[in-house]
Amino acid sequence: MGGKSVSLAKGEKSKGEKPKGKKSTGARFRDLSLWFVLVAIVSLFFADIFLYQPDPWEEFTRIGWGMVTPFWPDANELLMSALYTVSFALLGVAVSAALGVLLAIWFHWRVVRVFSAVIRSVHEIFWGLLFMQVFGLSALTGLLAIIIPFAGIFAKVFSDVFHQQSSATVDTLAGSSRLSRFFYGWIPQAWPAMRSYIRYRFECALRSSAILGFIGLPTLGFHLETAFRQGDYSEAAAVFWVFLLLIGTVRFWFYKKLLPAYLLGAVFMLPEMPPVNASFVWQFFTQDLWPSPLLNGDLPGAMSWYGNVLADEVGPALIQTIAITQAALVLSGVMALAWYPFASRWLVGRYYWVGRFKLLVLRSVPELMLAYLFMLLFGPSALPAIFALALHNGGLIAFLLANHSQDASSQQRLDSPSGLARYFYQDLPQRYPAFLALLFYRWEVIMRESAMMGVLGIATLGFYVDSAFEEIRFDKAFFLILVAAALNVIVDSLSRRLRRAAGLKTPRM
Amino acid sequence: MMLRSVFAAAAGLLMSAAAVAETFTFTAIPDADESRLNARFGKVADYLSEQLGVDVKYIPVKSYPAAITAFRNDQVQLAWFGGLSGVQARALVEGSEAIAQGYEDQFFKTYIIANTSTEIEASDELPEDIKGKTFTFGSKGSTSGRLMPEFFIREAFNASPDELFSRVGFSGDHSRTISQVQSGVYQVGAVNYSVWDTEVEEGKIDTDKVKVIWTTPTYPDYQWTIRGDVDARYGEGFKEKVRTALLDMKDEDLLASFPRKSFVPASNDDYAPIERTGKAIGLLD
Amino acid sequence: MPGQAMFQLTGASFGHDDQLVLHDISLEIRDGEKVALVGPSGAGKSTLLSLLWKQQPDAVALCPQESGLVDLLSTYQNIYMGGLSRFSTLYNLINLIRPWAARREEVARVARTLGIEEKLWNSPDQLSGGQRQRVALGRALYRNKSVFMGDEPVSSLDPEQGEQLLIHVLQQHTTAIVAIHSPELAAKHFDRIIALKDGRIFGDWQAAELDLSTLETVYQDA
Repeated sequence: MGGKSVSLAKGEKSKGEKPKGKKSTGARFRDLSLWFVLVAIVSLFFADIFLYQPDPWEEFTRIGWGMVTPFWPDANELLMSALYTVSFALLGVAVSAALGVLLAIWFHWRVVRVFSAVIRSVHEIFWGLLFMQVFGLSALTGLLAIIIPFAGIFAKVFSDVFHQQSSATVDTLAGSSRLSRFFYGWIPQAWPAMRSYIRYRFECALRSSAILGFIGLPTLGFHLETAFRQGDYSEAAAVFWVFLLLIGTVRFWFYKKLLPAYLLGAVFMLPEMPPVNASFVWQFFTQDLWPSPLLNGDLPGAMSWYGNVLADEVGPALIQTIAITQAALVLSGVMALAWYPFASRWLVGRYYWVGRFKLLVLRSVPELMLAYLFMLLFGPSALPAIFALALHNGGLIAFLLANHSQDASSQQRLDSPSGLARYFYQDLPQRYPAFLALLFYRWEVIMRESAMMGVLGIATLGFYVDSAFEEIRFDKAFFLILVAAALNVIVDSLSRRLRRAAGLKTPRM
Repeated sequence: MMLRSVFAAAAGLLMSAAAVAETFTFTAIPDADESRLNARFGKVADYLSEQLGVDVKYIPVKSYPAAITAFRNDQVQLAWFGGLSGVQARALVEGSEAIAQGYEDQFFKTYIIANTSTEIEASDELPEDIKGKTFTFGSKGSTSGRLMPEFFIREAFNASPDELFSRVGFSGDHSRTISQVQSGVYQVGAVNYSVWDTEVEEGKIDTDKVKVIWTTPTYPDYQWTIRGDVDARYGEGFKEKVRTALLDMKDEDLLASFPRKSFVPASNDDYAPIERTGKAIGLLD
Repeated sequence: MPGQAMFQLTGASFGHDDQLVLHDISLEIRDGEKVALVGPSGAGKSTLLSLLWKQQPDAVALCPQESGLVDLLSTYQNIYMGGLSRFSTLYNLINLIRPWAARREEVARVARTLGIEEKLWNSPDQLSGGQRQRVALGRALYRNKSVFMGDEPVSSLDPEQGEQLLIHVLQQHTTAIVAIHSPELAAKHFDRIIALKDGRIFGDWQAAELDLSTLETVYQDA
C-alpha cells in the first residue's frame, strides 16, 4: 500500500476488508465460464457432428406455408386432446406439488435427497415408456410419467425456497414437531415463492403432457407428431397454435378460486382406464426388468451381460450424451445472453414485447419438435439436437433474465449509460451471477433432454433405450435408464458443488 | 360441443367398467399413414362388430412396441402386426396365433430407394455404390423397413450396416423414410414396397428426387394375430369367427386401410423364416 | 461569482396525488454556486436532486446514494463508466476486454486522489463500504463535468476523510449541489444552504449569513 492511501485506509468506518480470496468475483466467474466453453469446444470433437447438405427448402417452404394456414378437420377431436393435455398437467402438478412438499420437509435426509434426484433424473418420456409396459396407454401411465419426475423437481426447488426464507418466524415455533414447524412456519412464509414456481411448473407440465402424446397418449402431441410425420403441416400448425395459445393464455383461464372445480373436471376428463392385470405388473417388475442370467442366479453370466451392454451401448452413448449436453449448455448460455436484452423493456425500450413473444414461443415449443425441424436443415447428426436444446433452454433462461432485468430497472441509477454500453457495462455484469446459476440449474435438465433426444435417432442414451423397447428387451431398457439416471444424479451434484464453490445463490425463477 | 364431449367422456368413464368385459379390442401397428386412424379403423371395427356380434373397438398406438405391449397386456385381443412384431408378440403371449395375412404378405418385399443426387442406378443386384452413403431404415422393429433389408444387406456385403454406411438412421415409419430420402436427409433408405407403390399412385412422391434402386427377394410379412384365450372369453369358436370375418372382408374401402387386396389364412409356422432372420441379426433372443 | 441560472424550479411538486414527496418547490441555482441540501431523512432531498438532475443530465456528474457499482467489473471499469459517453461504443467495448493504456492512466490518477489506486483491479464486492463510496465518487469525478450532484457522497467515510474528499470534489467542479447530513460541513464548505423539511423548503440561506443554531432547528420536531 502506498503512503497516502495508508493514512486514508486507517480512518474508515468499517474496519478491515472482507475476507475474500485473491481473485475477484468477476474473474472467478470469467474463468469458470471459460472452462465450460473449453469443455464445450472439446466436446464438439467427440459429438457426432456431421454437416450434410440435404435439400430442405422444399420441406421448409411447406412447413412455413403450413404454419400460416392452420387447419384441422375435426374440431371436436382437437378440443378433446387439448382438454386431455390440460387434465394431465393439472392433476400431475397438483399431486406432484403435494408430494414435493412432503419430500422437501425431509430433504435434510440424504436418502430423501438421493431419492428425489433419482426420480427427477429420468425423463418423462422414459417414465412414460416404462409405465406403458404395465398400464398400457392409460391415464395412469400419463399421470405417473408427470407426477414422478415433477415430485423430485418440486422437492429440490421447495427445499431451496425454504432455505432462502429468514428463520425468524420459525424460531418462534422451536420445540414443536418438524411437521408443525413446516406447516405453520416455513410453508406459509415461502408460499408466494412456491406458488409462483408451481405456476411455472404448470406450464412445464402442459409441455410434458403434450410431449407424452409422442409415445401414444391422447394429448396434443399425439396429433402433432402424427401430422408432422405425415407431412400435413397445416394440421401440425393447427395443433401447434392451439398448444401455444393454451400456454400463452394460462393466466386468462386459470382462476385460483376455481381450482377445485378444475381438478374435479380434470379427473372426469381423463381417458378411460383399461384393465390392469396384477400378475402381469408383478411379472414386469420382478422378471422383465432384469436380465435372465441374474434371475437364474448366474452371476458370471449376469456380469458378462452387463459388461456387454456397458461396452457396446453405454460407452458410446455416454460420450454422445455428455458431448451434446456440454455443447448445448454453452450454446444455451450464449443464446440466453444474446436474446434477453431484446425482451427487457429497460434495455430495448417499447419494442421489448417482440423479443418476449419470441422467447415465449421458443420456450413453449417442445425440444423434440425443434430437433426434428433442424434435422431437415442440418441432416441427421448431433447438430440438430444441440441447436434444439440451445434454442429451447436459451429461450427459457433469456426469458427469466429479461424479467430480472426489468425488475431491477427501478433500482438503476438515473445516469445509467445507454445502448450497448448499458448492456455490457451494467446489465450484463449485474445479471451474470443469476445467469450462471440458472444455467447450472438447467444443466441436469439439458442432460436429461439430450439423453431423450436419442429417440430421434441421434446416438445418445435415448437411442439405445428406444431400441431396447423396440426389441422388447425391457431388461436392457431399464438398465440404460438407470445409467441415464445415474449420469443425471452426478451432474446434479456437480452442479450444486460448482454453484456453492462459485458462491452463486439459488436463482429466482 | 364441449359440454357434449365432457358428458360423453364422463359417461364413458362410468360405463367402461361394465363394458370392458365384453368389448373386443384390436389395434394395428402404425407403419405408414397415421392420419385419421380412428376414422379409418373405426370402420373396420364396425364391420367386425357386425360380423362377430360383440362390441369391437379400435385403439390407436404410436409405435410397434406399443402395439406389442397392448397385446401382451390384454388391452387388445387382436392385432395387425408386421412379420417381426408378430413373432415378438406371439413369443410373449402363450397360445396366441397368426390367423390371417394379407394376400400380398405371402410374398412381401422391400424396396431400396435412393435420392437421385446419388446417381445410383437401379439394378438386379444390390448396387455397390450404396457403400459409404447415409442410410435410413424405417422403424427399428419393422420387418420390411429394418429386419429383411438389414438381412439382405448383410448377406450381400458380409458387413453390418454400421460398417457399410457412413451413417445409419431409423426414420420411424415408411412414409417418413420416403420423405427423408426424397428431401436428402438420408441418401438411401429401405421401404415397404406396398407403402411406396400406394404413395406413388397417390402422387405423394416426387420421382425426380427419389427412386427405387433394388428390390429384395420376397418374404412373409403382416398378419392378424389373436390371443389364445378368446374362445374361453367370447365363446367357443370365436377365433374361427374372427378368422372368417377377416377372410370375408371384401369391401375395398375397408381393405384400403391396410392396404391389401384381400386376406388369406395364415399360421404361426408361416413366420418361421422371420424368426430365424431375427435371431440371425440379433433382434430376437 | 455566480453566473446565469442553471437549474430552476417554480412551484414544483412531485409524488403521487395523495402522497406528495415534494410540495410547491421554487428555487433557482446559478452557475458557480456550491449548494448544500440539508434536512432530516425523508425530507425529500434525494427526490429534489433527481428533479434537478433531469434538467441538465448531460452537464452533471451524479453520485447518488445507491452507488450503482457493478460488482463483477473491476474498480477501474466502475470508474471508467463515468466516461462512457465521451467515447464511441466500440472503443468502450474494447476497453471492457482490454483497457486502453491512456484511460488506465487517467483512471489511476483519479483513484490515487481517492486513495484506492491499489484497488484498481479488485472488484467492488471485495472492498469495504468506505472504499466502495470512493469508487462511486471516482466515477463521478471521471465524468469531468462542471456540475457535481451528490447524495450523501461521503456518508460512509469517517468525518476527517469525508471532509478531505468533499473539499477535493468541490474544488473539481464549478457548481455543486450536495445533499449532506452534517450541518457543520454544510456551513463550512458551501456558499448556500437549502434546508428541506417534510417536502417543503424550510430555509434558503447564504452560508455567510447563517448561524448554526438556526440550521439546527431544521432537525427539531415542530
